[in-house]
Amino acid sequence: MTRTLFALKLRLFRNGPHNERAFSLVTGLVLAALVIAGASSAIHGVIGEGWIAVALTVWGGVWLFGPLAQPRHDPSVISREWLRGYPLRSWRLARALSWTELLGVGPLITMACLSSLVVLAAPGGMAAVAAAVAAVVAQVYLLIWTGKTVAALAAWLLRTRAGMTPAAVQTAIMLALSFAGWVPLAAWLLPRLGEGDSALIAARAGPVIDVLAALPTGWGYGAVLAARDGAGTGPVLLPLAALLTLGVLSQLCWIALTARALRRPPRRASSRRPTVPGRGLSLPFTPPQVAAVVSRELATWRRDPARGVELRSAWLTPLLMAPIIAFTDWSWALPLVGPAAAVFGAMVAINTYALDGTALWQLLTTPGALKADLHGRMAAWALLFGLPSIALAAVLWAVTGSPLGGAAVGGAIAAAAAGCAAAPLLALVMPAVGTDARDRIYPGQPAGDPTGGQMTIFPVVLLTAILPGVIGGPWWGSVLVAVLLAAAVLGVTPALTVRLLQRRGTGLLEAMTTRDTAILRAAARTES
Amino acid sequence: MQDPCLPAIEVADLTQRFGAVLAVDRLSLSIPAGVFYGIVGPNGAGKTTMLMAGCGLREPTSGCIKIAGHDLRTDREAALAQLGIMMDGLSLPERLTGTEILRYSAGLRGLDDGWRARAGDLLEILGLDAVPRTLIVEYSTGMRKKINLALALLHRPRVLVLDEPFEAIDPVSAHSIEQVLRQYVDGGGTVVLSSHIMDFVERNCRRVAVVAGGRVLAEGPVEEVTAGSTLNERFVELVGADPVRPLEWLA
Repeated sequence: MTRTLFALKLRLFRNGPHNERAFSLVTGLVLAALVIAGASSAIHGVIGEGWIAVALTVWGGVWLFGPLAQPRHDPSVISREWLRGYPLRSWRLARALSWTELLGVGPLITMACLSSLVVLAAPGGMAAVAAAVAAVVAQVYLLIWTGKTVAALAAWLLRTRAGMTPAAVQTAIMLALSFAGWVPLAAWLLPRLGEGDSALIAARAGPVIDVLAALPTGWGYGAVLAARDGAGTGPVLLPLAALLTLGVLSQLCWIALTARALRRPPRRASSRRPTVPGRGLSLPFTPPQVAAVVSRELATWRRDPARGVELRSAWLTPLLMAPIIAFTDWSWALPLVGPAAAVFGAMVAINTYALDGTALWQLLTTPGALKADLHGRMAAWALLFGLPSIALAAVLWAVTGSPLGGAAVGGAIAAAAAGCAAAPLLALVMPAVGTDARDRIYPGQPAGDPTGGQMTIFPVVLLTAILPGVIGGPWWGSVLVAVLLAAAVLGVTPALTVRLLQRRGTGLLEAMTTRDTAILRAAARTES
Repeated sequence: MQDPCLPAIEVADLTQRFGAVLAVDRLSLSIPAGVFYGIVGPNGAGKTTMLMAGCGLREPTSGCIKIAGHDLRTDREAALAQLGIMMDGLSLPERLTGTEILRYSAGLRGLDDGWRARAGDLLEILGLDAVPRTLIVEYSTGMRKKINLALALLHRPRVLVLDEPFEAIDPVSAHSIEQVLRQYVDGGGTVVLSSHIMDFVERNCRRVAVVAGGRVLAEGPVEEVTAGSTLNERFVELVGADPVRPLEWLA
């Protein structure tokens, strides 16, 4: 059975889609090459070998925490749904499946990255190199299975109706740690940066490397250093045995979770928790067509499982970042959480057209609906993310009296305008098509991977947020520049989006019906 | 309700290609106003492709489509304003309830307050008023067809285009949909529907087109197309059905 599943996975790899996989492979190999080059520099004394421990910790962290930061992204290539109908024992099937999980881009690039350990061991002779090869295998084994187990646990949580909240919380924690987790460390090493003093207290950096080497992601590194330095068999074999033991336990845990998932019938939509229908929305200075869309959008942001996770995580992230920053010597940076909230809001609204899926047909066949829909989406985004971000920056400025307050408020205004205008445009240009809206019931279902769009909008909105602070001068200058920038962005972008929607709308619908975005690219090429 | 001189839908030389596949091949149809019109054909005949192009949901490779005299390419907004559409297998704003989606649709079309009474009637007649707190995503197939029909009728269009409205729904739901459609045609509206249910088409439609391989094989009043036999027999005769050899392993 394992051989059949391997063959199936290879065939699935061969038949694509290849874009995302090829991108991951190339990026991963480039990063792995950098780590190997770093190891080579370390043995020649150009850099400290502690940097390799840092790199391996970050790499391992991606395996462990990546599934938590992207809880709705299902990494499995062989769908559990295909296997559920076969008259096979679920445990046996899960065990066979577990070996196919070793086949993939992730294990390959991780193996490449960890070969830096062999480079580190080289000065210690053949015995050290042999120990390093064993350490690479054991470390890869542990990383794969802890990562897969974390992903399976997250998937299990997400199948529950309440899964929307844990998914949002885990995403928010991961994002907050990614964006603000470095602040306490930086504030510890650069305690007087707020006063303009950028002197680094270098003596404080040493213990950090020791802590990283003691983590499971550093056990292979520790074993290799011990082998190279001739520290005896104990310090070499003990971490390797620990890696393998933890790896086996993780694999067993994954098999148990997968067997459980295979036994469970597919979930269907149920109306066990009735929805309280909303009332019609009347907004001042808003045509009824736009008000109807705003009302639909507000309901959808609350009730759609994918959008619900995004909405919650976009707001929880800055709210978690704030206390992380507040309890350091860098409290002057707190108002910057406002523009950060606008950036997160833009990132989570990057795929709304694809999430609404084939419901686009209604807009395409209703006279004047495309323009009303865009304006309604923008107004709803402004209500949910844009205006609260500006208010958050202003409140935190008032509370901290930070010298960066004016720049933060200006940044929030500019970022809110950029996010409001750019998110629908990129949602149209770079749709990540997943399960259609009518078939999405719980947050764990694949809803399209919008990483490409998010990585595009992130620098755009971030740059727009920085501009008022950089060119505005005093606080009123920053705010003035931000308002002018916002007017320009909101004046130009929506017209472009509507025109694109009118030209590419039917192509987008076809892409979502067939789940093939290549149709859109072909249409764009024909247009040009 | 509609100028009887103008065809409700006029399709001229419609061609639709998907790469090397020719889904619709220079198809021409003129559907008169105020009739119940059926389009039948085997799977993959090009029915849905033709209807999607006819509703402006697909850009045809070539050909011309007019809705109540308005060219879909050059006068799109006016053409679309004549249509009520019910497509099979596509989503709706799924996180709204039945009432909410009708309110949303009325707002999107800028309808006057009369929509409220019409929405109430449609929800009641189609039996959807019994589930006011259920989201569309939680609807059964039959309920989904009904809310689609309510959406298509809410703005009182001149022409209703329905893609397989009776597939996979129970006889009771089918009966209520059939009654609503009959009332609509009696009031002067035009219904164009695709279906595999020959009995329904024979019973209700005044005209029928048999489509296969992207072409019209026969078109006209139902009694002329059937030529004395049933529509089902005539359909099999026109489209052709290969004999099925006996499978010994099934015995």
